[in-house]
Amino acid sequence: MSDTILQIRNLEAGYGEVQVLWGTNLQVTSGQLTTIVGANGAGKTTTLRSITGWVRPSGGQIIFEGDDITRLPTYRKAELGVVMVPEGRQLFGDMTVLENLEMGAFSARARAYQARNLEKVCHYFPRVKERLEQKAGTLSGGEQQMVAVGRGLMSEPKVLMIDEMSLGLSPLLAQQLFQTLKELREDGLTTLLVEQNVHLALALADHAYVLAEGQVQLEGPAREVADNDEIRKAYLGL
Amino acid sequence: MTGVIVSIINGLLLGAIYGLAAIGLTLIFGVMKVINLAHGAMIALGMFALYLLVSWLGINPYLAVPVVGVGGFLMGFCIYWIAVHRVIGRAELMSLLATFAVSMIIVGVGTVLWSTSPYNVQVDMPGLSIGRYTIPGNHIVAAVVAILVAVALYLFLYYTRLGKAIRAVASNRQASELMGIPSTRVLAIAFGIGIGIAAVAGSLIATLFPFTILSGASYELKSFVVTVLGGLGNPAGALLGGLLLGLIEGSVSPFVSVSWTPVIEFSLFVVILILFPAGLFRVGRGR
Ligand SMILES: Nc1ncnc2c1ncn2[C@@H]1O[C@H](COP(=O)(O)OP(=O)(O)O)[C@@H](O)[C@H]1O
Ligand SMILES: [Mg+2]
Repeated sequence: MSDTILQIRNLEAGYGEVQVLWGTNLQVTSGQLTTIVGANGAGKTTTLRSITGWVRPSGGQIIFEGDDITRLPTYRKAELGVVMVPEGRQLFGDMTVLENLEMGAFSARARAYQARNLEKVCHYFPRVKERLEQKAGTLSGGEQQMVAVGRGLMSEPKVLMIDEMSLGLSPLLAQQLFQTLKELREDGLTTLLVEQNVHLALALADHAYVLAEGQVQLEGPAREVADNDEIRKAYLGL
Repeated sequence: MTGVIVSIINGLLLGAIYGLAAIGLTLIFGVMKVINLAHGAMIALGMFALYLLVSWLGINPYLAVPVVGVGGFLMGFCIYWIAVHRVIGRAELMSLLATFAVSMIIVGVGTVLWSTSPYNVQVDMPGLSIGRYTIPGNHIVAAVVAILVAVALYLFLYYTRLGKAIRAVASNRQASELMGIPSTRVLAIAFGIGIGIAAVAGSLIATLFPFTILSGASYELKSFVVTVLGGLGNPAGALLGGLLLGLIEGSVSPFVSVSWTPVIEFSLFVVILILFPAGLFRVGRGR
């Protein structure tokens, strides 16, 4: 099982006049947890946003299951199974937790699995289950993050991209969420994880990319990246 | 005394229709942050659509109302793509100008077709007598229909998948795209619904009073007052705001001449804007 499900080739993207990504290359292998690490401002979020189409790439290609999806609108990519849990959770604050989860399953493909996935989310996040009728905006930060990940799972993702899952959470909560991520991976979920918390990310991931100044500086099995002192000093500030 | 009570009841009945009209305006604003200056033109078009359906096809006005609603929806859906789509997310002035242009075109074409002389739709509906006063039957029916439409919209927004998607897009368009919601299409549908509601409100008004192609303007202004009362972007607040405006109109009309109504309404508008910029009713934002 080492099929490449998502491949990013020479991706270039930015905001207006400012180019952020300068030919980024990376691959996500089916069933694995891949992580992108790098300093603040390296372009990790921009990479994920370009994959979803939130930011329009100015060059390069995004290949998903063998098809070029570079120019598809964001919602079409989500329908195909390229799903992102954005930084800052971005829940529908006025809507209930259950409604948020329902919206995760909006596409026709995900709708078919809605009941099963809702059960799954309640299984992985018992605290979310207790709050289904509550407005999402009234939850604590950690609970909101659980809903955000749960909403992503409701989309029946083939690749789940998660941006800064542990940002703003207590170390204990972050640990718990990472534990859940580990279980999900064991259940076969393909994940592309972007994390400030480099320790946790590298400890959990199968494969890691080190991003700096909009380019991949290095890649390899996560453990090797974690053990390489030079990389740790040069790019990760550890 | 009975006269005042009857006047208040009449005011409330009209208020329900003001509320419905304002819901059309506030829904569009709530979902896409566009202040639709073609709102009044759409109300007027709803009036004429009812007139044409009734006079050409001879159908019962109340059966024609849903047809006007569907027609309004389709028209709004098209107007979204033609005039609104490109200005979404741009400076507010852009969407004001775009919808104002739509309004000018509709009123202009309407003036060519129907001049600015008054038309009316004949409705025979027994009234309700209270002492020597009568509450006209068509006013009662129009108010009931307005409230039913408002309730239907509420049920749609809170209990259907598409309705929830509209609320999701209103809440966070970017995130809804990430969830697989085609947000542009959802905006077009929401705009269509807002226009459809305006047209229905217009058709209901046409069953009450004579109208011209310019009549929409005063209802558009009332919609703004109502929207400010109820809180911009808040449909449930708009219905309450409409009833409140109707209550005020009904309470003052026995005592002052009609020309004072706009003066009172807009003084209220200014006072509310200053004292309660978020509206009087913080309700209806979900369960
Ligand atoms: N919305 C935006 N508009 C303009 N510049 C942005 C925007 N978002 C990020 N940037 C810039 O792009 C660069 C990369 O940012 P980002 O991809 O968020 O990095 P990371 O996620 O690795 O911290 C930074 O220099 C940042 O200032
Ligand atoms: Mg980031």
